[in-house]
Amino acid sequence: MTDNTKNAVLDVRNYSLDYKTANGTFHALKDISLEIARGEILGLVGESGSGKTSLAWSIMRYLPGNARETSGKILLSGEDLAQKSSSEIENMRGKRISMVFQDPSTSLNPTLSLGSQLSEVLVRHRGLTRKQAWSEGEAMLARVGLKTPAAMMHRMPHEASGGEKQRVVIATAFACNPECIIFDEPTTALDVITSRQILDLFVELQAETGVASLYISHDLALVSRTAGRVAVIRRGELVEQGSVGEIFTTPRQDYTRELIAAVPDPRRRLVAGQVPTDAQPLVRVEDVSVHYGRKPFLAALTGRKHERVTGNRAVSLSVNQGEILGIVGESGSGKSTLAKAMTGLNPFEGKIWFDGRPITGLKDMNTVYRKDVQIIFQHPDASLNPRQRIGEILSRPLKLYGDAANLDQQIGDMLEQVRLPRTHASRYPHQLSGGEKQRVAIARAFASRPKLVICDEITSALDVSVQASIVQLLLELQKAGNTAYLFITHDLNLIRQIAHRIAVMYRGDLIEIAPADQIDSPQRADYTRRLLDAVPPPVGSAA
Amino acid sequence: MSPNYILKRLMMIVYTLFVVSLIVFAITQVLPADAAVMMLGENATDEALNALRQSMGLDAPIWAQYGHWLGSLLQGDFGTSLRTGQPVGPIMFEALGRSLLLAVLSIGLMLVLAIPLGIIAAIRRGKVADMVVSLVSYAGVSLPEFVTATLAVLFFADLMKWLPPTGYVPLTENFVDGIRYLVLPVCVISIILIAHVSRMVRSELVDVLHTDYIRAARMKGLSGGTVLRRHALRNALLPTITIVALDVGYLLGGVIVVEEIFAIPGIGRQLIVAIQARDLPAIQAGVLIMAATYSIVNFVADILYAWLDKRIQYD
Amino acid sequence: MIEFLKRLLRTPQGAIGVTLVALVLVAVVLGPTLAPHDPEALSPLARYKGPSTAFWLGTDQYGRDIFSRLLIGARATVTMAVFATIVGTLIGAIVGTASAFMGGRADEFIMRTIDAVMSIPSLLFALLIVNLLGSSTINALVAVAIAFAPGMARITRSVALAVRKQDYVNAAIARGEGSSYIVMREMLPNVIAPIVVEMTIRVSFAVMLFATLSFLGLGAQPPAAEWGLMVSEARRYMHLSAGILIWPSAAIAIVAVGFNLLGDGLRDALNPRT
Repeated sequence: MTDNTKNAVLDVRNYSLDYKTANGTFHALKDISLEIARGEILGLVGESGSGKTSLAWSIMRYLPGNARETSGKILLSGEDLAQKSSSEIENMRGKRISMVFQDPSTSLNPTLSLGSQLSEVLVRHRGLTRKQAWSEGEAMLARVGLKTPAAMMHRMPHEASGGEKQRVVIATAFACNPECIIFDEPTTALDVITSRQILDLFVELQAETGVASLYISHDLALVSRTAGRVAVIRRGELVEQGSVGEIFTTPRQDYTRELIAAVPDPRRRLVAGQVPTDAQPLVRVEDVSVHYGRKPFLAALTGRKHERVTGNRAVSLSVNQGEILGIVGESGSGKSTLAKAMTGLNPFEGKIWFDGRPITGLKDMNTVYRKDVQIIFQHPDASLNPRQRIGEILSRPLKLYGDAANLDQQIGDMLEQVRLPRTHASRYPHQLSGGEKQRVAIARAFASRPKLVICDEITSALDVSVQASIVQLLLELQKAGNTAYLFITHDLNLIRQIAHRIAVMYRGDLIEIAPADQIDSPQRADYTRRLLDAVPPPVGSAA
Repeated sequence: MSPNYILKRLMMIVYTLFVVSLIVFAITQVLPADAAVMMLGENATDEALNALRQSMGLDAPIWAQYGHWLGSLLQGDFGTSLRTGQPVGPIMFEALGRSLLLAVLSIGLMLVLAIPLGIIAAIRRGKVADMVVSLVSYAGVSLPEFVTATLAVLFFADLMKWLPPTGYVPLTENFVDGIRYLVLPVCVISIILIAHVSRMVRSELVDVLHTDYIRAARMKGLSGGTVLRRHALRNALLPTITIVALDVGYLLGGVIVVEEIFAIPGIGRQLIVAIQARDLPAIQAGVLIMAATYSIVNFVADILYAWLDKRIQYD
Repeated sequence: MIEFLKRLLRTPQGAIGVTLVALVLVAVVLGPTLAPHDPEALSPLARYKGPSTAFWLGTDQYGRDIFSRLLIGARATVTMAVFATIVGTLIGAIVGTASAFMGGRADEFIMRTIDAVMSIPSLLFALLIVNLLGSSTINALVAVAIAFAPGMARITRSVALAVRKQDYVNAAIARGEGSSYIVMREMLPNVIAPIVVEMTIRVSFAVMLFATLSFLGLGAQPPAAEWGLMVSEARRYMHLSAGILIWPSAAIAIVAVGFNLLGDGLRDALNPRT
């Protein structure tokens, strides 16, 4: 223990942090102790509001005015950071300890070139001239695997892809060979394959430089593959910490166990095998294409060719009664576009057959179709009208499709069906938590006893444990009503758990559809295999 | 920024001026004023009046009159003043020159004061300095120009005798006196603009200071001042261009009032005189010139913004 | 309602704004009852008097009680300003909503035309209309309403478009709700709040615009107790008594500040998420 303490690059001891708010004192961090040695990666895992980001700002000495440090110390190579003056802290930041942020599209200044944002840290801390810093910057971009570093230096952030930008941010963090780097969810904002590449880069650079790394994430599966040790944080308190192996195979605390159980694991299927293929599927999408945009006036006038953006290119698929069809793909792959076309929110070309009836556009979507096909959106914050009470929100489908008798009774039953107290009917959406709001949206969709529910990334804004309970609820409702789902997600592990079949989309095209248990077969399309390679199942045993 | 964007914006100016010409023509047509009577006086004979109407094209159908007016306009002929019998165009453009001097000085003073005030309020957010700036700006936007102008004359000219009350001396004639006459008008016009723009600068900068990239820059070890100069101001001040350009509409309104109160022979005063005398060609020319000024300023501002903000893709 | 008022009074802007606007409303409603003197009673012997127990704010160039004149004038100035703003907002809201609803080329045409109209400074626009219709209070009201409409149309349109893109509207469409329900129940409550805020702030501009028109001799006509007109008339005598100039100016400023602050307070109070 004593040895370890001596070697620790970052040493947080019994650290507590409060925020003074209008409603009293909020204890953000309570008695936190952790150490990171040189060459080590410590994964800090917690759900939203657990205090993991507060800890990062404490270490960086960047706290808001209402923060009070009530106990403990933060030591960097044995030096107490709280004792340092603000100019000493400024000298330390970026040089001895640096930080990589979640979203490179917001953590880079949109009006400065990538090169100047990288080289300014070299000018600041290594005393280089601008010219020297620029050429040094080029070398660094080459080191983080960018193909054309010289050109990349001159680009503006909007001219680079998310992955390229994050590489620049990482190069900046490593620029002065710091002792310690804090990674705050560095891959969360990126697409699956890109995020895998960034993670590989991080592991490689970390091994090469031996920098002590604090890797903050909400994603247990991801941390299990990168970190050596893991600390689990909940409501400002460290629940437990230990090596990845220990935490995942023999967790000591209930909370850790719950968290691990909530992580989607494709080896743990939640639905039974296959749905018998009917002679006539419930819904058949036939060559559906979606284009966005209209010809601008001036282009029409000057006869300039105008290219419309394609959202979907001749997509064909079908869903059987009671089947869960997963649709996966990266952002911009057209998965949500298809959902919008099927609910009349996007005009489309082609045909949709529903229950044997052809639908070619909005005009064919009658009350029967509306009743049978429901959609749930990603952000319940946006899909529930902020100025309506839950009761009014839930009364609409009843008034539209069902009988509006005994409204209060029915609304109460709907709330109970999604495990919410009946009294929630009198509340407004902003008085509910994220998970509760999504339950209300689910209740609204199921009010009409639909045959098909389209779930558009409905769990991706939620914490893992909330996601798990929402998924469980959805599966129960599915069994009870033999409802079919079109489950759109970017989370491959999740969809492999719950779907019967999986459709893979890429840039508007449907790549292939395969049964969920055969999605990892070597015969799958090249893109599907790359996608799967990017997200291996979590470490640990499948319970 | 493509040539297409510039072309599109230029077409918008043309359309704007077309719409304004329609509005102005419509309003002046409905005005209960007979140009012929105004030129020849109440005692003119019917014969003389009819002859004049014919020669002015006033008996032609309304669309033909509009076409004729527009045609002359395009050749640079704004018509003849009913009041003075002089060509309207040269008078109005000469007056515009004086008004532009007033406007440019006011915008200059506004920028010099409003931007630092906004920046101070933003970086001292919630502190005394912020509250003071905020109070002053609430007061500033709540005082119409005629009130501040009258009070300014009362205090600085009548009571203190520091500055001349009203009047105008061309700068080319006597520079020092010219400036002395311009001080009060310029200050009065810029008060509301300072109040408005400093508030805008403050809220833009507060937003920018809360972005991730500002935090990221601080985490590189850059000092607060460097971050402000290198990273924050650039982004916060960019939208100010558009705000100032839109405020030019308000400024031109202020110019009218201030020129009237301080007796400055600018386009605003010419317009008031023309409106009171129902001098139709002068009203038409004055309004068109004002609208054109506003459109051109906004065109330049949009181009400047697009040029400075390379993020925006225009087509 | 009580809860809403509490939210409004929570911010300093809201609290001061409510207080000032409430004071002004008292003057508007009870002005003639409260006025200690006849606002048009001339007393040649008591001209240019300073504040006293008889004349709280002193007397003007004709010996009329300034305080009484201000109380009476509140009706002319404030009522007209509020009314003109409401009319302008309604016209603007209808045009803006229609434009957003139609979309496409029609929307583009309407918005470009509104941009064009807005290139005429609103004071000048109001001057032209008053001149066209003749100088009077009602005509000034019409002029201010018309001058405000294009700006309000732009704001309404952008708010309506933003709300239109929200998923709760998408959800209603996907559910098969009729257009009237979507517009009235889903969109309108969310569109109205920002427009009410904008409208409140614009009342202060309307007060100033009205006063300016009267000042230039194109609004209320003497011997009306309109505040702008009072300033205008006081100008000639201001070296004799600063009070006749300062009090009506202060009245205009108080009303304008009050509505400005109230608007900012409403912005916070009407946000359902705070």
